[in-house]
Amino acid sequence: MKTLVLLSDARHPVSGRPAPAPTELQAINLARSLADEVTGLHAGPDAEAARGALGHGLARLEHRKILAGHDPLPSLVAAIGTEAPDLVLAGRRAGAGDQTGLLPYRLAEALGWPIVADAVALAVEGGVLEVIQALPKGARRRWRLRLPAVVTVHPAAPAAASFALGAAREGQVETAIGIPAPPDEPAMEERPYRPRPRLIASAAAGAGAAERLRAATQAAGPGGRVMVDPSPEEAAQAILNHLRAIGILKPAAGG
Amino acid sequence: MSRTRRDPREEREVRRLAGSARPRWRLDLPPSVGRLRRDPRREAEAARVPGAARLRLDRSGRAAGPLAAPPLAAEPLVAPTIRIIEAPAFLIAVVPDAPGGRLTPLDRQLLGTARLLADAGGGAVLTLTFGAVDGLGTAGVDRTVALTAPASGDPAMRMGALAALFAALQPRHMLFPESAAGGDLARRLAARIGETLFTGAESLTARLATRPAGNRHVEQRTAPPRLVTLAPDAQLPHTGPAHEARRLEPPEIAPTPAHEAILSVEDLPVAADALPLAEADFVVSAGSGVTDFELFRELARALGATPGASRMVCDAGLMPRAAQVGASGTVLEAACYLALGISGAPQHLQGVARCEHVVAVNTDLHAAMVERAGLAIIADAQQVMPALIAALKAEGRQ
Repeated sequence: MKTLVLLSDARHPVSGRPAPAPTELQAINLARSLADEVTGLHAGPDAEAARGALGHGLARLEHRKILAGHDPLPSLVAAIGTEAPDLVLAGRRAGAGDQTGLLPYRLAEALGWPIVADAVALAVEGGVLEVIQALPKGARRRWRLRLPAVVTVHPAAPAAASFALGAAREGQVETAIGIPAPPDEPAMEERPYRPRPRLIASAAAGAGAAERLRAATQAAGPGGRVMVDPSPEEAAQAILNHLRAIGILKPAAGG
Repeated sequence: MSRTRRDPREEREVRRLAGSARPRWRLDLPPSVGRLRRDPRREAEAARVPGAARLRLDRSGRAAGPLAAPPLAAEPLVAPTIRIIEAPAFLIAVVPDAPGGRLTPLDRQLLGTARLLADAGGGAVLTLTFGAVDGLGTAGVDRTVALTAPASGDPAMRMGALAALFAALQPRHMLFPESAAGGDLARRLAARIGETLFTGAESLTARLATRPAGNRHVEQRTAPPRLVTLAPDAQLPHTGPAHEARRLEPPEIAPTPAHEAILSVEDLPVAADALPLAEADFVVSAGSGVTDFELFRELARALGATPGASRMVCDAGLMPRAAQVGASGTVLEAACYLALGISGAPQHLQGVARCEHVVAVNTDLHAAMVERAGLAIIADAQQVMPALIAALKAEGRQ
């Protein structure tokens, strides 16, 4: 079984130096549980960041050299055509650049393969891939699909293998010229990022501290129902009925 | 801090009594700003017990004399108005997550943004939902199309229906929430129809959309393309008058088959006790009103809820520190919070601030948690817990 991990030209979020993205390293770790040899694939001007992944369990790195700002998709599709992997793994977002998280979807569409997002566990049995997908609120979903497929990895996946300098030095990087694909649209206007305040409760701007505390700690709606000194059975029934009315508990089995 | 400056001369001029040679002022009018002025003489007159030989005053407030309070003009009752947009110039399509037919806070923010985009040019907000959704009118929706939810959890089928609707209705924008499900659906759709997608917009107007990029060091700005996903907590929900949310018949769409390589998609049961509190959807929490913690854990298992605790309980070592709810513990994102024997210190209430529903069981009627709760039971939590477990068991047996 052959597995390919897509690596972005990632930057460290604080220092800005080339460093592999955490979810891509987690993807390498997941891929190593399925196959012994895992290949990395990077399309971009230089593979400085992707080379760092060689120390985290990657055996070989395929680098397709294209100009900065060009679309990596045609180069990746061509490389996947020659490598013919069974499974392509990617991180959730790239570690630098636009970070739209769109490339795995465009790749799956171009290859005609199914895509599953946010995987936390993978298993293969007889050409069928079983993916456990992480959903919000701790929910999990199990997908079973025939290979080949594209899978993106969630940050809740098992932690990446630690860095080994010897493995990083032994790893091979094979560089080839990619397919030039100049962008169709002009680049977006860019400015230094200015953090915006998160709009939480509807405390009016300029309201006093007491109002802001009230908005942060009290219910937005009107005050609720109060039952004073009910019997425990009445109280239990009222709580269960309320939980069912707001849709937290499923309706009672007996009706 | 700026307040409108008061002009006492102008305020007095309003009270001037006409038709008198010397200046005279009406003093019984309620003030236009500030607190209501009390008239102690009139209050004493109203409290006077009639018929008594000597002066007797009834201060209980029951004897409401004719002079008790100046009559205020009653607000005329007005039926709640519904804003109707009959012939929209364009459509802003919104695809809310709406799990279980209820709008999430991000869905409301998304609809508020769509409302702004539509009102900028006389357009209408159209929601495309899978299954019926409650409360769309108050969230600012003009038209709604309820599609039948596909049986499979594979989002490719939903994406196919949305691609067909996008081609048929030609909305000016199609907005998605930047959540796990909404973001996935938007990216699938953008990849299929080849449209540009603007992901994770932090501000969105008809002319300009901005998003963070490059590990939040760069802000990208452009005129919004047709497909946009909106980041959480970036925009305010709609607060104006309700809209009509008129149901339109869904157009005839050939159902998209799932990808032939996908064999099955199934939801796994959530192990609620093992969940971290920050991810939990339903939390049962114990305070100092709970003494039997075996019973408490049994109740959490029976309800399928994640157990939490107040700081006092965690300090006493009765529950692990990871279970602490509040400012110095975990700030919850749960949909429902059941507080057993918790009075509700401000630091604890901060941890519950983002919970949608709160149920409190407490012996103190005046506790802050009772005020915060949608349903408050004034009783001993220690006696309600076995009753709850018994009621759940009795229902399971039926």
